[in-house]
Amino acid sequence: MTDTQWRVYEVFHQQARGEPHVHVGSVHAPDPETALLMAKEQFGRRQACVNMWVVPQEAISATSYEDADLFQHTTDKSYREPFGYETTKRARAIGDPQEL
Amino acid sequence: MSRALFQPKLADDWQTAVADLLVRLADDELVIGHRNSEWTGLAPILEADIAFSSMAQDEIGHALAYYRLLHELGYPDPDTMAFLREPQDFRCASLVSIPKGDWSVSIVRQFLYDTAETVRLEALCDSAYEPLASLARKLRTEEKYHLLHGKTWLHRLGDATDESHRRVQTALDLLWPHALGLFEPTRWDRTLANERIQPSEPTLAQEWRARVEPLLTDASLVAPEGVEPLFGGRVGRHPPSLAELIAAMQKVFRLDPGAQW
Repeated sequence: MTDTQWRVYEVFHQQARGEPHVHVGSVHAPDPETALLMAKEQFGRRQACVNMWVVPQEAISATSYEDADLFQHTTDKSYREPFGYETTKRARAIGDPQEL
Repeated sequence: MSRALFQPKLADDWQTAVADLLVRLADDELVIGHRNSEWTGLAPILEADIAFSSMAQDEIGHALAYYRLLHELGYPDPDTMAFLREPQDFRCASLVSIPKGDWSVSIVRQFLYDTAETVRLEALCDSAYEPLASLARKLRTEEKYHLLHGKTWLHRLGDATDESHRRVQTALDLLWPHALGLFEPTRWDRTLANERIQPSEPTLAQEWRARVEPLLTDASLVAPEGVEPLFGGRVGRHPPSLAELIAAMQKVFRLDPGAQW
């Protein structure tokens, strides 16, 4: 769908220093400064936020949903899971093994 | 409602001076908050609409905080102050009540007003009247965004196209005398300065100009020269636009002032 408005900026929001920036949505804006200005009120006014990123949508390279099978595991890849670690064993002893 | 109730007899001159200042601060905030809320649903794009409406709420929140300080001094409660006074009882400057105009008028007004508010709040952070000083320190945080909003839009519109530049410069010429009127000296100026409650209005005006002018230059705009300030608001003389705004703002409340919401 063509967008007749301003450029779209994707907005990423960080709840505390050291936490990952999480994608929360997008805003229309003519430039990055205005995008931050808009993003602050759209996404920063209800939840805690210490830092915000805006990224021009066209700067993002993405896979296609048609290629979702790229991420499927057809054979057993459980050897990649961290079940050999001591902490995992302790957690397994306390909790539901299905959860691990 | 009688006039006397809105102006309770206070013990000292300085208290009366503080109360007069608080009414001016509160009324400016309430009226500009109401004016800016008139963009809700109508701003150029959704994002701008949300940001502008949210700032309008901030200003009304500031007004409420100032009315609460007045209530502590013996004034009526905030709802009564906002919804049951007559236009001539208000002490706002004309800048905040004139109609919202086009987007450029509202943006330039927001920029001029919030720069002035920032200068005032910074000064009030050191006020000898502690309840006001501590409130100023709290409100200042919100002003940071308002200032950024004003500066960013002004810069964009001042520099974008011939039409946008022409419109913001026209808005600036229209609003300038009203903006100077934010610093109308009152009979309490000297008391407020002597008691270290707030610097005199001319001192604040000078600081405001020193901040605003470079920002206007950055946005390729020119501050009008040799313009006389439009005074009167601080003594209750207002343009007709205030009475229209107040009638709209008070209409629902006055249908049934005792209603529980």
